[in-house]
Amino acid sequence: MSTHQDTFAATQTKETRLYRAPASTRTPALTRVLGYVLVAPIVIVMGVVIAYPLVTAVVTSLKDERIIGTASDFVGFDSYVAVFRDQQFWSALSRSGIWLALNLVVQTILGFSAALLLQRRSRWSRTARTWIVLPWAIPSVAVVVLWQWMLNTNYGIIYKAFASIGIDLGAPFGSSTVSLFAIVLVNSWHWFPLTAVVVYGALSTVPPEMIEAAKMDGASAGRVLFAITLPTIGPVLFALGLVGSLWSVNVLDSIYLITKGGPANATTTMPVYIYNTAFTAFRSSQAAAASVITVIILLVAALIFVRFARPEED
Amino acid sequence: MPSRVVFSALPRWAGMTVFTIIVLGPLYWVTASAFKTRDEINSATPTLFPHHFTLTNFQNLFRSTDYPTFLKNSTIIGLATTAVTVVFSLAAAYGLYRLRVPGSGKIAGIVLISYMIPGTLLIVPLYKTLAELHLVDTYTGLVLVNVAFTAPFCTWLLRGFIMSIPVELDEAAALDGAGPLRTMMRIVLPLMLPGIATVAVFSFVYSWTEFVFASQFIVSNSLKTLPIGLNEIVGLYSVDWGLVMAGTVSTMVPTIFIFLAVGRYFVGGLISGATK
Repeated sequence: MSTHQDTFAATQTKETRLYRAPASTRTPALTRVLGYVLVAPIVIVMGVVIAYPLVTAVVTSLKDERIIGTASDFVGFDSYVAVFRDQQFWSALSRSGIWLALNLVVQTILGFSAALLLQRRSRWSRTARTWIVLPWAIPSVAVVVLWQWMLNTNYGIIYKAFASIGIDLGAPFGSSTVSLFAIVLVNSWHWFPLTAVVVYGALSTVPPEMIEAAKMDGASAGRVLFAITLPTIGPVLFALGLVGSLWSVNVLDSIYLITKGGPANATTTMPVYIYNTAFTAFRSSQAAAASVITVIILLVAALIFVRFARPEED
Repeated sequence: MPSRVVFSALPRWAGMTVFTIIVLGPLYWVTASAFKTRDEINSATPTLFPHHFTLTNFQNLFRSTDYPTFLKNSTIIGLATTAVTVVFSLAAAYGLYRLRVPGSGKIAGIVLISYMIPGTLLIVPLYKTLAELHLVDTYTGLVLVNVAFTAPFCTWLLRGFIMSIPVELDEAAALDGAGPLRTMMRIVLPLMLPGIATVAVFSFVYSWTEFVFASQFIVSNSLKTLPIGLNEIVGLYSVDWGLVMAGTVSTMVPTIFIFLAVGRYFVGGLISGATK
């Protein structure tokens, strides 16, 4: 069987070069076995850590479980009803939307301007390419401690600097009006390097000759940007936008470490809401129901994004 | 004319200054503070350099807190996560993007999509799953979870590296009588070293910085990782900012060194993985 397929594959090699034949007709059995053995570990790990818990989440959401693992009965969609009736759920959902939008704006501005500076040929750009990623590489806990320390009203260097020119920053993380914005800034400091290096890398794939030629033909800077640069880096921006947004919505550690969702729920985004519902209020089923709803919302949003924002080429 | 040149360069200079200050400023300030005495930290006028350079904060950190234990745990979990992630993602990338087993397109798609399900939304059911497997409060449990959240992204990163190695090499090896396993180990793997370095850095940093899962899936004090431990130290010693700063610096330093050593490599790898 395998020898037959080997010869079959051999006679096909010429055509394979021209177009990719269906894998099943050209992969010899031995290679196929090796292939599945290689792919198996990641599939098993993902099954145990992501797929199975997802199923468990759906099952738990249909029960009336309080503390994780305690006895519970199936109660249908009661938990979903409870979640939909919970005012906190709706404010957490809209707060997650605001959180995502603010993070996107701040990180896009910081990331793009850093990328443009990194692209230049100067000593600063060469060294900065190494150290600009540092805020991303340090643990969120360290990021959080560092900013709390600098904004501390007794010893904080930033607080004192502003106080010396007559501006009282107060305690930004303790104020229900500004705490969300303050955490957005801290989180953006932590994450903007990722945007910066990815955009910088994408920009360096734009052929300089094309830009030169366009300028020779009298194209304006804006036209070069929209006609050459953006289309070339489009696929990268698309992937970054999709993955970055999902990562952003997903942020729990920075918020939780600074405010635990407070003051007065002013920083309770969806992940914080779910975490508090499960581990502070001990309502596992409601937390699971909120998780399932959120996953569905994100899935739909991601599909819409892919449908409308996917670059034309490919 | 020269004045116009200076004027047009102004935004660029301003940008460079701003980025230097906002990125390196806080890192410098924390580091400088860690070497100051308590009096100097608490003094009304901040000092740019430590006037009385001291290692007391670090001595206290390593002698009177559990910091050494946290450091040991984070190192073990970080190295284990890195090793497993490198092996699993290399294997998967090779099977999916090189051998192209039947159905590989679908498998790759499913792996990437399930990776997009936010991990923090799964803490509750994931806790149950680990409990069923008796993996709550173990190194193995945390490593397993870390791998599940690094390996898919790493597999995707390696795709770019694998694609850049010409398939003709495999064909030549096959003509010379090398089996698929031999081709993989002797021909393709050695050419993948930059990709392996990228994946190793990514997974180690992920594990070193991970907070949410470690905070719920580890219970014993003796198994806690640095982010959890540091957070506790902050809570316990919040009056002793020098100690807290020493803890923060000690937690940042390993990843900072990794980045200064292989950072450029990593950034290059991330980009070529994403663009090919």
